[in-house]
Amino acid sequence: METISYQDVNSHVIDKCREGDNRAQYELYKLYSKAMFNVSMRITNDYAEAEDVLQEAFISAFKNLHTFKGEASFGSWLKRIVVNAAINAIRKRRSELVPMDERTIVDIADEQYEDDAEWKVEKVRKAIMKLPDGYRVVLSLYLLEGFDHAEVGEILGITESTSKSQYSRAKKKLLEIMKEPQFAV
Amino acid sequence: MEDRLKNFVSEHRDEFDVFEPRPELWQSICQQTQAPRKEAKVINIKFGERASFMADMLFMRIAAAVVLLLGCGLTLVMMKQNTPDTGNVLAASQQKVISNIAPEIVEVEAYYVSQIEEKKSELTEYDKKVLGLGEQQEIDRELARLDSSYLQLKKQLYTTPNTEEIVEAMVQNLQIRIEVLNRQLEVLQRIKKMERTINSELKENETTNI
Repeated sequence: METISYQDVNSHVIDKCREGDNRAQYELYKLYSKAMFNVSMRITNDYAEAEDVLQEAFISAFKNLHTFKGEASFGSWLKRIVVNAAINAIRKRRSELVPMDERTIVDIADEQYEDDAEWKVEKVRKAIMKLPDGYRVVLSLYLLEGFDHAEVGEILGITESTSKSQYSRAKKKLLEIMKEPQFAV
Repeated sequence: MEDRLKNFVSEHRDEFDVFEPRPELWQSICQQTQAPRKEAKVINIKFGERASFMADMLFMRIAAAVVLLLGCGLTLVMMKQNTPDTGNVLAASQQKVISNIAPEIVEVEAYYVSQIEEKKSELTEYDKKVLGLGEQQEIDRELARLDSSYLQLKKQLYTTPNTEEIVEAMVQNLQIRIEVLNRQLEVLQRIKKMERTINSELKENETTNI
């Protein structure tokens, strides 16, 4: 019930935005800016850059709203714009996002993972921010933004198996970072 | 292979969103989404003027005269009507109906409008050209923009059931205008002060030289 009415409100607001209604645009911004800012923040790992990306993404979203046909939810449509803008931003900053060597990684033994009872959100979050760009992006897209490996591959222009292997490496690195003594929260 | 990290993250997904953009960010988005249409027009006019300026100086003189006359005429009309603000076309005719829908806005509007007038007259006391400020135009444009969105809000008052939110936005709009004017005043005051200190320093130098 609730989701239906929520979507109704959304599509009503979106229609108004298409007409260039300032208030409706603000409504959408209020609704999505925080989540989208965090998406952007996780990819760029830089507050000012994340803001630039958010601004660029919202402006382009409002401008291209007519291409949004409503087959996906508005949130995921917008998220795609934000993700692409953020990735472009760090690509500009650094040449290569994901190293292209495709050798499949030797399976990391799952058993060596520490007990997840010790995990805390803050600790995991901070450790993610310490990952190198390539790892952080793959891991964030897969773990937090809810894309599967095929989608991550498509976004980054790599194959699905590269995304998988990059993710396992990123995860391994993440667990290493969390084991570092200064990370004992 | 079970991914415990993924399970952990999806269980606590919401807690990972800890950042928030600065509230001012909306302003710059807003400016860029609204600006293109309006600015395109302004630029066109400017190009047109410039082209004709170069082609024909006489035309420029005539244009200037027309603008001056229009300006004088407008000020005269306004003084006769004794309305406090140029944007007050909005105030006069619809006031009665508005007082039914949102009685509080009438008073609030009157108060802010008088404040805005006061600031504006304070501003005119400074000679901007002497102080080397060319941005007055920009501020006028900003005020005009605020004024037009205010008018839109006022129209919405008739059609939207949620008057409270609109009234709030209207008040905010008025407050922003005052803020804009205050900033400008501050800048001008600072420049004045700087000039004064520079002058006094110069004088001191002269005396020490002697």
